[in-house]
Amino acid sequence: MKTLEELRKIREKAQNEMKLRESSNRIKVVVGMGTSGIAMGAREVMKAILDEVAKRQLSDVLVTQTGEKGLSSKEPVVDIIEQGKPTITYGNMTPEKARKVVAEHIVNGAVIDDFVVTRG
Amino acid sequence: MKDISLHLLDIIENSVRAKADQISIDIIIEVMRNKLLLRIKDNGIGMDQNTLSKAVDPFYTSKNERVKKIGLGIPLLKQNAEMCGGSFKLISSPGKGTDLSAEFKFDHVDRMPLGNIADTMISVVIGHPETDFQLKLKRKLINGEIRDYEFSTSFLKKELGNVPLSYPDVIQFIEKDINEGIKKTQMEEF
Repeated sequence: MKTLEELRKIREKAQNEMKLRESSNRIKVVVGMGTSGIAMGAREVMKAILDEVAKRQLSDVLVTQTGEKGLSSKEPVVDIIEQGKPTITYGNMTPEKARKVVAEHIVNGAVIDDFVVTRG
Repeated sequence: MKDISLHLLDIIENSVRAKADQISIDIIIEVMRNKLLLRIKDNGIGMDQNTLSKAVDPFYTSKNERVKKIGLGIPLLKQNAEMCGGSFKLISSPGKGTDLSAEFKFDHVDRMPLGNIADTMISVVIGHPETDFQLKLKRKLINGEIRDYEFSTSFLKKELGNVPLSYPDVIQFIEKDINEGIKKTQMEEF
C-alpha cells in the first residue's frame, strides 16, 4: 500500500465532516452474500449501493452484508432495516434495481412494491 | 462462480461465519512453475475431521442439510481447481482456524480469470468492519524477479483513526490501491 499522505488527507476531511453531523445510522442496508447470492451478482449489487450512497452523500446509511438467508431462488436479496418500520426484503436485485431502491426507498421513503419479496 | 475473485468472496464469507477476526489472502503466480495459488487463512473456530470431509464433498450429506450448513462453495472451488490441472487443500482443526489452498495451472485454457479482486475486498471490508483483512499479491517472473503488493486493513485503521473504512473516500482509496497493486504485480498478464 502507498501514500500515507493521501490517507491523512482523507482522515482530516472525514473528521471535519463528522464534527458537523450526528453519527447515527438511520437506515441499515444488508446485502445477502451467501454462495448463491454471490453467484447471482450480490457483489455487484453491493457495489452499486455503495456507489449510490457515496454519490448522494447519505452519511446516515450503513451498508453491510450477511450470509445465506434461505431465499436462494430470489437472490441477490437486500434488506432495508429502519427503526420503527417493518424490514423490507428486496429480491432478484440487479445493480440497476439496487440504485432505484436507494433513490426511491432510502432517499424518498417509498417502498418499491414490485421488488419486494418479504416484509416484516 | 465465474472467476477467482467470486470464489474468494465466498470463501471469506465462510471464514467470517466461522467467527474469524483475522483473514489473510495470498494470491501467488509463479510462471516458471506454471501455477497460480489462492490461499486463504483464518483464525476462526475451525472444523473437526467430520465437518472437514463434508465441506469438500458435495455428495456427503443430504441436500437439505448441505445447503443450510455448509453450502456448495468449497466443492465448487475444488472442482474448478482440479478441472484445470490444479489441486485443492483444506486444513483445519477445532480452535486452530482454517487454511485453504487452491492451485490452478496458470496457462490452462479452462483456468478461471482472476476477476475483480478489488471489488471482492471492498465488499468484505465494508461488510465486516470488525474483521482484519490482509491481502498479499505476488508474482515470480521468469527472470527470478519478484513483484509483490500488500494490503492490510489493520494498517488502514491505524492511519484513519476513528474514520470508518466505509467512508466513501476510503472505499475509493482501497479500490485504487488494490488495482494499482494488481497492475504492479502483473496479476492479470500472461
